[in-house]
Amino acid sequence: MPDKNQEEELFEHFAAGIEPGVSTTIQAPSRLRSRIYSALMLLESAQGRLRSIPATKAEGHDLCVFEELVRIAPVGQKLRSLNICRLCHARLLGEVMENPPIYWGNCPYVDFKKP
Amino acid sequence: MSRIDNSFFMFGHRRLRGNSGISPTYQLGTTLGRTEQSDAAGEGNSSYKPFAQAEDSALVAAVLARDRKATAEFVSRYADRIYSYIYSRLMPRADLVEDLVQEVFLAAWQSLASFRGQSPLDSWLLGIARHKVEDHYRLRLRAADPLDENPEESKAGTMAPDLDQKLDEERLRERTLRVLANLPEHYRLALLWRYWEKCPAQEMAARTGKTEKSIERLLARARDQFRKEWKDA
Repeated sequence: MPDKNQEEELFEHFAAGIEPGVSTTIQAPSRLRSRIYSALMLLESAQGRLRSIPATKAEGHDLCVFEELVRIAPVGQKLRSLNICRLCHARLLGEVMENPPIYWGNCPYVDFKKP
Repeated sequence: MSRIDNSFFMFGHRRLRGNSGISPTYQLGTTLGRTEQSDAAGEGNSSYKPFAQAEDSALVAAVLARDRKATAEFVSRYADRIYSYIYSRLMPRADLVEDLVQEVFLAAWQSLASFRGQSPLDSWLLGIARHKVEDHYRLRLRAADPLDENPEESKAGTMAPDLDQKLDEERLRERTLRVLANLPEHYRLALLWRYWEKCPAQEMAARTGKTEKSIERLLARARDQFRKEWKDA
């Protein structure tokens, strides 16, 4: 039977030098990114109001077409802080499809797609 | 800095598209600029550098302010690194990887307010990921059948002669992955936990509710099986 200490050392040395798998970062599936983002947005919404869309724009972020509509619409603060991704078909597609056929700009579910 | 962190700093970063807005507190889409610079420098995947501390802190502050775009950036920046790490520790159970990655992000969000910026955000996230992986090992090994109470004498010899082969690193990685993937789950998890996560056998025993002797027997069987698979791989 191989010497136990020698075995331990050998495996420790081996594991320290070799990571299993490939040397490059593996890309997370786009649908996983989408699901994580949706889950985080749900948590944030449950905790309180999201940063409003006009405030987000004022921070220098580009908005998607639907967010832009909410920004210019004559609606109250509550609606402007709404998690409108929750109502958007891009979220549904993004969560179930890998690289879903959505193409408009400044949508996180589009950005999560693999290049 | 831990070995795991170092190994991940060797890895590259995904190209992020679409974020072109500039925030006064942190720059969205910096992953894009970072990757392009790396590629242009011909450094490939070995050029990953963690984001600057100020940038991490600004991103965390924006996420805590429930900024939807910052939250998307948070996911985009770190999903690949967390995914890669968990994949390497759970393979070949790809079915479990996605759930665990999501758990890591949810746990991270819940304790994000405690992030002090003393270490890079990716290291902090990898720390959470590591805990999740160890929890998974603990649960699986605790539930594993006690197959190792009467281990047979090993006849497989040592692995050293094979490791002396002049395999390049990539082939060695692939072979390691293949061998680990072919092991029974409790052997694989025991080896990953003990040698790749550097968890002492004593701690493994304490966390699984088994005796140290039992864990050592499990490890001996796992090493033996690993060597056998290594010869065939």
